Amino acid sequence: MRKILCGTSALAVIFFASLDANAQSIQNTDPSSQALLERIEKLESELNALRQAISQSAQTADAAQATAQNAIKTVNVVQKQTAKAMQGRYSGAESDAKWHLAGYADVGFVGSDRPGADSFVTGKFNPGFHFQYKDLLVFESELEFSTTSDGETATELEYSQFDIILNDYITVVAGKYLSPIGQFQERLHPSWINKIQGAPAGFGHDGVQPTSDTGVQVRGAVPIGKSRLTYSLALGNGPRTTSEGGVALEGVGRDDNSNKSLGGRLGFFPIPNLEIGGSYLTAKVGGYEGEAVAHAETPIQVSSDDPLGLDQARYTLWGMDGAYSKGALSARFEYLKSHRGTLFSITGEEPLGDVLPRLGMEAWYGQVSYRLSNVGDSDFLHNLEPVIRYGQFRISGHDELEEENAQDRFNVGLNYWLAPTIVAKAGLEWRNFKVLGVDSEQLYQFQIAYGF
Amino acid sequence: MKQSSLSPIKGASLILFLGVLLMGTASMAASPAKSKASQKPDPMQVVRGAKAWKNNCGRCHNLRSPKELTDAEWDVSVTHMRVRANLLAPEAEDIKAFLKASN
Repeated sequence: MRKILCGTSALAVIFFASLDANAQSIQNTDPSSQALLERIEKLESELNALRQAISQSAQTADAAQATAQNAIKTVNVVQKQTAKAMQGRYSGAESDAKWHLAGYADVGFVGSDRPGADSFVTGKFNPGFHFQYKDLLVFESELEFSTTSDGETATELEYSQFDIILNDYITVVAGKYLSPIGQFQERLHPSWINKIQGAPAGFGHDGVQPTSDTGVQVRGAVPIGKSRLTYSLALGNGPRTTSEGGVALEGVGRDDNSNKSLGGRLGFFPIPNLEIGGSYLTAKVGGYEGEAVAHAETPIQVSSDDPLGLDQARYTLWGMDGAYSKGALSARFEYLKSHRGTLFSITGEEPLGDVLPRLGMEAWYGQVSYRLSNVGDSDFLHNLEPVIRYGQFRISGHDELEEENAQDRFNVGLNYWLAPTIVAKAGLEWRNFKVLGVDSEQLYQFQIAYGF
Repeated sequence: MKQSSLSPIKGASLILFLGVLLMGTASMAASPAKSKASQKPDPMQVVRGAKAWKNNCGRCHNLRSPKELTDAEWDVSVTHMRVRANLLAPEAEDIKAFLKASN
C-alpha cells in the first residue's frame, strides 16, 4: 500500500512539473492562463499536504506494530510465570519447605435413659498443621477447639512436636507428643478414625492410658526379614498427682518433681496384616501440693524429713495390644494395667495432707468391625459398617474414682461412610457400673465426623 | 533439703539418648545425598507402594483417595505418618511414589 502511494506521488510530481514548465511559458504570452497557473499551484499545495499525511500514517503504523510486538512478548512472559506458579501449587516437587493442613471435626447427639441427659453436642474441631523441611525435619501440631457445657470455648494443645529424621531407622521427637503407650491415643482417637463415638472405658481422659507427655522420644523401625520391628522410647515429664488423689497422665509444661518418666512401646508384625505390641512406663510421682505451688517458678524441693518415704511413689504401667485387618474386616484389642504406691498428698478433702493408699487401674477392650463392601449389589449397603466393642475398667484404692469410672462397657454401632474420611455413626452404649448403688446407664449416640 | 542427684534410670536414659543422637548424626553425615534420578519412581516401586499403602494405612483408618492431596501435600502427609506409624523409610518412599502417581 505504501509503495503504491509513493509511486503515485512520483508520477503526479512529474506530471505537475511538466505542467508548471508549460504554464510559465503560457504566463508571458496569455493573460487568461493566469487562472490556470493559480489552479496548478493550488493543486501542488494539496499534493504536498497529501504527502505529509501519508508519511504520518506510515509512522503511526510502525508504532502500532512495535506496540503489538511488545504485547506479545508480555503475554509470553505471563504465560511462563503462570505455568511455573501452577506447577509450584500442584506439585511443589522442587520446594525445600512444604506444608499440609490436616485435622478433623465432628458434631453429634447423645441421649441417655437417665432423665434430663439428652443433648446435642458441638463436638470438636481439631486442626492439625504439618510443616516439613526437606527430609530432615517436620514440625507438627494439633489444636482442639470445643464448646463446654457452660458455653465457653475450650482450647487445648493436643500436641506440638519436632520430628528430626536422623536416618532411615531413627527419628527424634521433641516437644509435647501423643503418648506412644498402647495404640488408642496415638493412632485411633480422632473421631473419623474411631469407629464408635467416644473412647473405650479407661482409654480416654482420666483413664489408665496416658494421653500425652512432654519430653523426648526416639522412635522408628528396623527391618527383620520381610517384617519389621517398631520402637518408641520416650523420656518425659511423666504423670502427676491430681487434687482428687488420682494420677493425671497428660503432658504438662513443667515437671513437678524433677523425676522423668521412661516408657515406650515395641511393635512387631508376624504377618503383614497383624501387629502386636507391648508397652511399659515407669516414673515417680510426688504429692499434689496445690495450685500455688504447682505453678511456682522455682522447682519444687522434695522434703527429706519424711521417714516413711511417702513423698514420692513409684508409678508403673504396662500393657499389650494387637490389631488385625484384612479386606473389610478389622479387629483389635488393648490391655493396660497401672500401679501407684502409697503416697502422702494434699487433696481437695484433706488440705493438710493425707496418705493416699495404693492405687491400681486396669482396663481392656476388644473391637471388631466389618465393612459390607462385598455384600449385595447396593451402593448403600456397601457403605455400611457394623461394629461392636466390649471393655472393662477397674479401679482399686480410690473410692470416688472407682464409683465414677469402674464399669463394663458394651457398644454396638452402625456406621455409614459417605466418603473415605466422612462417616455418620449411630450407636448404643451400655455402661454397667461396678460399685453397688450406682445405676447402669444406656446411651444413644449419633455423630458425623470428617477427617481432612 | 535433699541434694538433687542423677538417678541410675535417668543417667542411663540420658546416656542412651546421647548415644542414639550421636549414631544418628554420624549416619546422617555418612549418608550420600539423594540424586534427582534416584527420586524418580519406577513401576515396581509404585506396585510396592500400593501394597504398603493398603497394609499399613488401612490398619488404623480408611484409605484416603490419592486425589485428595497434591504431590507436595502427600510428601508431608506421608512423612508425618512415617513418624506416627513407625514405617520403614523405604516403605514410606514407596507409598509416596504410589500416591503421587495416582493423584
